[in-house]
Amino acid sequence: MSGTLAVRGVTKRFGGLVAVDDVSFDVHEGEIKAVIGPNGAGKTTLFNVLTGFDTPDAGSATYAGQELLGSRPDRVVRRGVARTFQNTRLFEEMTAHENVMVGTHARTSSGFTSAALRLPRAFREERLASEEADRLLRLVGLAERRDTPAADMPHGLRRLLEIARALATSPKLLLLDEPAAGLNATETAGLADVLYRIRDHGVTIVVVEHDMGLVMQVSDEIVVLDRGAKIAEGPPRLIQKDPAVIKAYLGEEDLDD
Amino acid sequence: MGRAALLRYVPGAVVALFFAALPLLATGSDARYVLKVFTFVGVNALVVLGLALLFGYAGQVSLGHAAFFGLGAYTSAYLTTRLELPWIIGLLAAVLVTAIGGMLLALPSLRLKGHYLAMATLGFGEIMHVAFVEASGITGGPDGFSRIPLAALGGFVFESPQAKYWLVWGAVAVGFIIAGNIVSGRPGRSMLALHGSEQGAVASGVDITGLKVRVFTASAVYAGVAGCLYAHVVGFISPSSFTLHNSVIFVAMAVLGGGRSLAGPVAAALILTLAGFADAVFPGLSRETLAVIQDWQADLYGLIIISVMLLAPAGFAGLYRAGLRSVGVKL
Repeated sequence: MSGTLAVRGVTKRFGGLVAVDDVSFDVHEGEIKAVIGPNGAGKTTLFNVLTGFDTPDAGSATYAGQELLGSRPDRVVRRGVARTFQNTRLFEEMTAHENVMVGTHARTSSGFTSAALRLPRAFREERLASEEADRLLRLVGLAERRDTPAADMPHGLRRLLEIARALATSPKLLLLDEPAAGLNATETAGLADVLYRIRDHGVTIVVVEHDMGLVMQVSDEIVVLDRGAKIAEGPPRLIQKDPAVIKAYLGEEDLDD
Repeated sequence: MGRAALLRYVPGAVVALFFAALPLLATGSDARYVLKVFTFVGVNALVVLGLALLFGYAGQVSLGHAAFFGLGAYTSAYLTTRLELPWIIGLLAAVLVTAIGGMLLALPSLRLKGHYLAMATLGFGEIMHVAFVEASGITGGPDGFSRIPLAALGGFVFESPQAKYWLVWGAVAVGFIIAGNIVSGRPGRSMLALHGSEQGAVASGVDITGLKVRVFTASAVYAGVAGCLYAHVVGFISPSSFTLHNSVIFVAMAVLGGGRSLAGPVAAALILTLAGFADAVFPGLSRETLAVIQDWQADLYGLIIISVMLLAPAGFAGLYRAGLRSVGVKL
């Protein structure tokens, strides 16, 4: 399949702990898929493995037929798979616009020499990248903060800025690690709109999220992890009723009540 | 031109004009000496421009830049003095050798950060210093090289103090423009990103391994060219000019100058270099006063550095930006 992310048997161990245990699932083109699970379920580790920030112990993950696992993270980005972080990794002293400009790095090419000599190609590329960054800032609603340093932006806007930066890499697949963490209700509603807008631009989204309201609202499909293993997969209405999921979230005692 | 644009470009133009015209302004009995001192300022400025790229933009520390300075000087001195090759060959060889050296030094930087990287580069500097002393067959040992031929280009020999001054400051101007173009474009942005967050940079598709190698290489070449110019301007080099002390002074200039700036570090190079030659700025200074200043030079440096770090931790560049902001210029 062209735009499918196929995760197969991905396993990651840290010493004796199996952080991700033989996880398999598919994400189809144009879908919003959520990965949920209690704390320590291995969601972020799974993201790290998929994006090259961690090496897996077993398994494969292909996107559009190309293997992602074992590649360096910057090469994964060049294959059209971008991510954000649970704790934002912004360039604090750079403005919002500059942060997003860095994201265009993957698809621009002017290096030290062409920049040093101010070749017309480098100049043109810079102008296009700058326009693209402005477009993406508008897309996530940060146009007015264009020249604000990342360090001076409130938490909710920082998350949107990181999404804009990830979009600047021109991804086909976007992995968002807890984009709603720390957002208030209004901001979360705004985030849902942004996610739809991104999806409508043809970007497939995988989102790790704890905010169940957001997850149930936006996702087409949900994968549930518990202690590293996949315990359920399906559309939101079925996941909500799944006994294994309820057990994982509420604990065994609660079920006995 | 708007006021903001005026404030942004006019100071630079005035400074450039001043340095270009200095040989014409400096007249009288002290002129030769003043020009010589300002030629040293230019040599240091060139090294510090490279360090500004590495440290001020990419956030990578090097306590071994005197080694590149020396590598450039020795490479060119050997080729022109022993093998009697033309100066331009010496210069090109200095560029090549220091570029390779920069790539090699980049290797530890791929794995090490912060203090650990500083230690590794310090080790590199010490190794090179020992090599300059011990490889006496090539370097002339502790005595170094003397009678290094003057720089010459197409029959023109850079012999007068004016010619030497213009040669060095011409190189500074070219180096400044090249560095300015690099930092204002895509590579500069990725360097700042690397400084800001390595993971963020990687997630944006920046090949940080390749970037670190390129920045270290570019930075080493700046020091190498400066070393070559130094050797052919002074005509004599010895290992004592390429010690840890020199490396530390270069870093001090870069820190004093401030991050994300090229002009700041050059200004710092000017002030710290002149601090050692106060009589070039104040011609009336008595010999006794000068001797006192030179005896206390290291302390003077320390004092300047501590004061600036206390009063203006963002360095000269930070002070300048704060000044612009206070008169209402939006940066």
